[in-house]
Amino acid sequence: MSSGKKILVVEDEKDVSTYLVTLLEDNGYETVTAEDGIKGIDVAKQEKPDLITLDIAMPNQTGVRTFRQYKEDEDLKAIPVIVITAVGDDMRRYFNKVPGFKNPEGFMNKPIDEERLIKMVEELIG
Amino acid sequence: MTSPINLDNWITENLFNSVSMSCAVVDTEFNIIYANNAFEQMFGKWKTRKCYSVYKNRDSICTSCKAANAFKDGIPRTNEEVGYDKSGQRTNYLKHTIPVPDEEGNIGFLIEISTDITETIKIRKERQLLFDQVPCNILVIDKDFNITSTNKKIREMFGDIEGKTCYQSLKGLDSICRECIAWQTFEDGKTHTGYSTVKDKSGKTVHFQVTTVPLESKKGKVKQVMEMAVDITETLKLEKELKIAHTFMESMIATSVDGIIGMDSDGEIVIFNKAARKMINVIGSRQVQRNELDYILPKGFLDQISSGPGHVYLPETDIETIDGNKVPARLTGFQIIVDDSPMGMSVFIQDLREMRQLENEKLEAERLAAVGQTVAGLAHGVKNLITSLEGGMYMLKSGMKNSKIERIQEGMEMLGRNIERISTFVKEFLSFSKGRAIVTGLCDPADIAKEVVGLYQTKAKGQGIDLQYMKIGDIAKAPMDYEGIHESLTNLVGNAIDACIMSDNKKSNIWVRVSEDKGVIIYEVEDNGCGMDYDVKKKVFTNFFTTKGLGGTGLGLLTTKKIVQEHGGKTDMVSEKDKGTTFIMRLPRNRLPKPAEK
Repeated sequence: MSSGKKILVVEDEKDVSTYLVTLLEDNGYETVTAEDGIKGIDVAKQEKPDLITLDIAMPNQTGVRTFRQYKEDEDLKAIPVIVITAVGDDMRRYFNKVPGFKNPEGFMNKPIDEERLIKMVEELIG
Repeated sequence: MTSPINLDNWITENLFNSVSMSCAVVDTEFNIIYANNAFEQMFGKWKTRKCYSVYKNRDSICTSCKAANAFKDGIPRTNEEVGYDKSGQRTNYLKHTIPVPDEEGNIGFLIEISTDITETIKIRKERQLLFDQVPCNILVIDKDFNITSTNKKIREMFGDIEGKTCYQSLKGLDSICRECIAWQTFEDGKTHTGYSTVKDKSGKTVHFQVTTVPLESKKGKVKQVMEMAVDITETLKLEKELKIAHTFMESMIATSVDGIIGMDSDGEIVIFNKAARKMINVIGSRQVQRNELDYILPKGFLDQISSGPGHVYLPETDIETIDGNKVPARLTGFQIIVDDSPMGMSVFIQDLREMRQLENEKLEAERLAAVGQTVAGLAHGVKNLITSLEGGMYMLKSGMKNSKIERIQEGMEMLGRNIERISTFVKEFLSFSKGRAIVTGLCDPADIAKEVVGLYQTKAKGQGIDLQYMKIGDIAKAPMDYEGIHESLTNLVGNAIDACIMSDNKKSNIWVRVSEDKGVIIYEVEDNGCGMDYDVKKKVFTNFFTTKGLGGTGLGLLTTKKIVQEHGGKTDMVSEKDKGTTFIMRLPRNRLPKPAEK
């Protein structure tokens, strides 16, 4: 039942990453992972995923900066991004304040609502 | 030579020579035909010489010859003359020229009697000079208040006013002034002093202090009065300015919120303002004595002020109130030096009670803010943990559903790992948030560092890290929470070891230094580990920030910061990516907590 669509999971917490990868693969998506924001850029350029899930609180480079870089990159800016964070709704407000940037295509608070996440992914990339 | 006036030898030789004035007899040809010893002593050799030659070193008769006139009219005269004495010195002399007629009334001789007045003339000139040059205005008036003489200074100021009345020329009045002190001197013959305001020749108002002195008092009658007037216009102006400055200073001292104490050169207290009385708790009309200051102010403070110029500044000290309580204060003291001589001392006291209270309130507010942040951050930490737990559950459930043993196993491991994390997290969080009251006791600051280094030595060696303890200089015991400081250092050393493990550096070092500088106890933990980049540095003291993945809770440094803050200190950090990090805890002694009762 593989859809052939590839999702990049950017998440520093190993267990959360495993959780997301398993959940997405169970729903027919291919996955690749990156454990921090810097690697998240490299992997995205290499793998050209169809969608990215992005954590915010990460070492080396936060999700906020990584999100900016995605949206500034000509090759990557079209890829929809779902922000998955424990930071909470403050993060959504923060994104609204960043001038010249649209909001991420999807936004999900931790802990994850599995059904909603899959629905969100389906709506974005089918 | 026969005796011209037919006198006896006795008269010529003895009588004339015993007269102390110079006497000479001159004939109509101006020959000196006789002179006494006094004359010869004054004018020198005279025999066979003409009078003009002897008196004035001249070759011919003088232009206004008094003798020639006396021969003509037979009238005696007296003149002041200028001539030369026997040594050629210019000499003033008073000369009486007396014609001596014979029985028929013809004048064949003159007797000239001279007195040396050189000294008198000199004194008279000096007196005039003095009269003109004294730095005050002098005038002399007669009984009718007519000005008979003025000195140069008064002429410069008022013009030529001699001959006019004083009241008219100085004040423009028609009659004498009320309370005229010159009139009083004329009446009682005594010296009087008063003040007078007049206008000078340019119309400017001038203030004088005037002294009147009686002159030529005969039989109790004063014929003239000398008025000596000193211009005090400038003095009065200065006096007024001084008065303003003084009033200004007095009201400043009185209303100052800082305590001000002033002492004169004998050490007597001359200023003790209201604020100082309040701070030192001086009640009612009680006066503070000099010896009391020795225990009110810190020991040796006054001695330090009096030992030299410059300010003595104690930014944080204690003063003692009259009733023996300590008040935190900031003191400034200095010696008042006028023309190189010490004239007294000033002490300024700033009450620090309110400031201390504000500082404590701020510290508490910061602590509460940190707890608040922690609670907010707690949600973040918990959410992450729940996500991981749910991940474990998902793995377990989906594994069971699809009979995938590996996935079930992985799910179980995830659950176990995260339950362990929750346990660590909760322990650390509780230790941080419950705000364990610090327990202060006197401890050796160096001992704590030494012990922490000892505890980590094995772990460091196992990782190939050279962990060193260094004590710099002497450090006295201080009131501290031993366990709190221990925990703070443990966090820092633990972090330093992690930083070394994370770095690629082959030779890893950690230096734990303890020292004291100007009453501040300083702990430094330096490593040459991985260091931090800008992003990490910014977040290093925020809660739940960790670079250690599952290995850290992100509360360690925040706990250190909190403990140091509770000791009134500060935690700072210097770090460079790939070079290393230094954490510095600074604890000023005067802000350390008071030791608790056991």
